[in-house]
Amino acid sequence: MTAAPTGTIYDRGYRPYDGARGGRRAAVAALVKSTLRRALGIRRSWRQKFLPWMLLGIVAIPALVNVGIAYVTRDTPLDAVRIVTYRGYVGHSSSLLLFVALVAPDVLCPDRRSRFLSLVFARPLSGTDYALAKLGAIGGLLFAFSFLPQVVLYVGQMLVNRDGAIDYLTANSAVLWQVPVAVALLSLYYAAIGLALASLTTRRIVAGASILGVLLVSSSVAGILRAAEGASPATEVLNLLAVPLYLRDLVFLGRLDDGFRLSQLDGGAALAVVAYLVVVGVSLATLLWRYRWSEA
Amino acid sequence: MAGPLLRAAGLTKRFGGVTALDGLTIDVPAGRIGLVGANGAGKTTFFRLLLGLTRPTEGSVEVAGVDVGADPAGARGRLGYMPEHDCLPTDQSATDVVATLGELAGLPASAARQRASEVLDLVGLDEARFRPIEGYSTGMRQRTKLAQALVADPELLLLDEPTAGLDPLGREAMLDLVARLGGFGISVLLATHLLDDVQQVCDHVVMLDAGRLVVSGTTDELLERTGVVVVEVDDRGDGLVAGLARRGLTATMAADGSVEVAAAADADLDVIRDVVAELGLPLHRLSTRVGTLDDVFLRRAAS
Repeated sequence: MTAAPTGTIYDRGYRPYDGARGGRRAAVAALVKSTLRRALGIRRSWRQKFLPWMLLGIVAIPALVNVGIAYVTRDTPLDAVRIVTYRGYVGHSSSLLLFVALVAPDVLCPDRRSRFLSLVFARPLSGTDYALAKLGAIGGLLFAFSFLPQVVLYVGQMLVNRDGAIDYLTANSAVLWQVPVAVALLSLYYAAIGLALASLTTRRIVAGASILGVLLVSSSVAGILRAAEGASPATEVLNLLAVPLYLRDLVFLGRLDDGFRLSQLDGGAALAVVAYLVVVGVSLATLLWRYRWSEA
Repeated sequence: MAGPLLRAAGLTKRFGGVTALDGLTIDVPAGRIGLVGANGAGKTTFFRLLLGLTRPTEGSVEVAGVDVGADPAGARGRLGYMPEHDCLPTDQSATDVVATLGELAGLPASAARQRASEVLDLVGLDEARFRPIEGYSTGMRQRTKLAQALVADPELLLLDEPTAGLDPLGREAMLDLVARLGGFGISVLLATHLLDDVQQVCDHVVMLDAGRLVVSGTTDELLERTGVVVVEVDDRGDGLVAGLARRGLTATMAADGSVEVAAAADADLDVIRDVVAELGLPLHRLSTRVGTLDDVFLRRAAS
């Protein structure tokens, strides 16, 4: 004998929400979190996970190789086996550039293209909140991607140091502030440029190509001017790829490296700072202007 | 809440030389409110003003006692908004989208996910909620849009053409859902150009035409105030029309042979009765014509 069906369908109706509610700050934090998730491919298909994590892996390779060599040669008198320096590791990898060109369009363009922004701005968020949350998320990711390999490098070198970890720490204490400051300047720079350019279009492919195009073309233009006879070293600031490296040198060395032609110019360092501020300022202004959604 | 849910005072919005909303002054109580008008009547502009996404050129608007101009974010915190157009990221699941939007409204992450699950249940999205939205039908997308508007438990839902693009069954289901929301104590402002939808689910109607208020009142009031009495006599309707005209009442012959009389006051009914008696006509029917919102809109907009 089969038992009589006992299942019952309940209309659970609607339950009002009387729990905690955060304000604007909580909403911005939620937007940062969802942007980080999207950028790293979390809750997305493996294809969307693959590229960002691969790029992070590529960025970390020199640090791992350097630590490995330091470990292998720790008992030899060779002291100069070093693939990368802390200064040289800031902004050395084109993986960061590729990461920005990949991720900045992905976290902005679909929101505008699918008109998801109309739902976002129906919440207690302003256009400025939105733009700054995106900047914080991408800038934070760039910082993490640039900083973590440096941590690996530092901790690794410290642990395999012939003279002991404490000696290494004492001898290299300056990089403990130089690296995060230089990496923060670099991250802000790339995040601002990437997001500003991505905010101008709804198509990811166009945005990615624009980011790579603007940075690479500026570098080429500076190279052409460099080859021209009588061109001032000041034209070097047109190379947008080099500008954050000038700032890096100012943080690590207190001056521009002699390898940069801009160092031949009196006031070259000041010009580099001005160029950095102008690029970041124009980028942020563009980004905020594109998200002036809420007039109120 | 003691005061009106919505209060607009002299609300005007101009875009260059175009006046989208012209001196709108209304007090609307909580409930299910229909905002009706043709395309371009000013419905979407009114929504944008309520959400604080654009500033009025003149006047002010309040939502649940919050002055939108002074505290737009506070007003948005009391509202849920379902746009007419497509607005969902199609590469994500309904669960993720609704939960994320719950968090953006200020709900803690765990509460947002739980609420997302509850409201998706409520709107009837079952297992599909875990699939990417790109595979959804129009009806499922509309339900997802409604769910995201509900997730933060708003005091007032702004629904912009929620039945657009739905087949008759989907439309009925959506209207049924909207009607149920009223039962849960959630007020609804339903913007549409489909007066049937409003007549079916709304208890208050605000009619706009070219940015101006045509009429605002309860649905029952508006439907009762057709001001037309239908009189059916034998085939001597023409004589009745002439007789009523002599007594100062405007009457016309309808296509079905009945006589429609513009009767504004109860005394007019006495006049109709007297004229019928004087002419010795057999009175088959004397009734107030039950109108539709279409009639009300057309009559009021014309006047």
